[in-house]
Amino acid sequence: MAEDLVLDTAIRDWVLIPLSVVMVLIGILRYFVSKLMRSSQVPDPKIVKEGQVIVRARNLRAAANFIPPKSFLSRRVYFSNEENGLLFVPKGQTQNAQAQMFSDPNMAMDMMKKNLSMIIPQTLTFAWVNFFFSGFVAAKIPFPLTQRFRSMLQNGIDLSTVDVSYVSSRSWYFLNLFGLRGLFSLILGEENATDDTQRMMQMSGFGFDPSKSLGAEKDGLDIVQHEWALPKFEHRAEAVLKKLIR
Amino acid sequence: MAGHSDSSSSEKKSNEAMNDVPVFSAENMQNNMKVIYYSRTFMSIIGGVIAGILGFTGFMGFVFYFLVMTITSIGLIARAKFSVHSYVDSWNRIILDGFMGGLMSFVLFWTFAYDIVHIF
Repeated sequence: MAEDLVLDTAIRDWVLIPLSVVMVLIGILRYFVSKLMRSSQVPDPKIVKEGQVIVRARNLRAAANFIPPKSFLSRRVYFSNEENGLLFVPKGQTQNAQAQMFSDPNMAMDMMKKNLSMIIPQTLTFAWVNFFFSGFVAAKIPFPLTQRFRSMLQNGIDLSTVDVSYVSSRSWYFLNLFGLRGLFSLILGEENATDDTQRMMQMSGFGFDPSKSLGAEKDGLDIVQHEWALPKFEHRAEAVLKKLIR
Repeated sequence: MAGHSDSSSSEKKSNEAMNDVPVFSAENMQNNMKVIYYSRTFMSIIGGVIAGILGFTGFMGFVFYFLVMTITSIGLIARAKFSVHSYVDSWNRIILDGFMGGLMSFVLFWTFAYDIVHIF
């Protein structure tokens, strides 16, 4: 039996809308602040060189079928040659690059700054919401949930007979937190700093770049079977031209 | 579907000429994926507001979400003039990509509109 509560219009005016507006504005503010605070880092030339070598090897792998077999093989030897091939890194050096990257003070500071700029506004807003907007029903979510969600969604409301659909403002805050990500990507363009999960994936990915990916590229290059595709193009050109003539 | 044509106007051909050796321009394909993502986000927000105003509750709302996503997919495929392979590398990309991503935005705007119209 779902009793239909009628909620005060004042709640709508002074809770729902201000909370959403504040979260949107904080998101925009955070985006601009992170843009301003991005310190210009002089990239290490050795790392840039390795990155470019990887790009070249990847291009070779992707376009292998468009060059004659002999030139492909000679390029491959250049890359994966045991003695002085570019991709071949002796075991001792691999550990070095990783340790260097993590103890580099600039990089650590950057990561910390990004982390902080993400966490502080969220914490502050959450504390603000809890302080001001607790103890009343804020919204009704249009779909029913089980009783187990009651403690999570209705934390300020102490009546146990109220439908689980009626939630407190804390859950409105969380709903906004997740739902506004899509809106931010539309407003702010691609490069926006509001998605935590993307950030974490980025951070975990770039620490190991130089050493491991060299080995991976070398393996990938060794695997490639070369099949020269250009001779087939003559047949294809012939077929296309024949169709045109008809 | 005015929203589509605006945001999809910059879809570029990513597969040129060769048919037996498919070559993809990675940059164009990335741009296409971005356009698809924007279209879906936008449609899920609009769909959320519509669902809230119409008063869908519970299961009907999620059915409506899938309906909106399907309409978006059909719109995107029609925009690509049905030659999907010259814009993205597989059918799955244009149909399924970002399906669940718009769900949270949909629920947020659905709740918002529903509350504003029906409860308050």
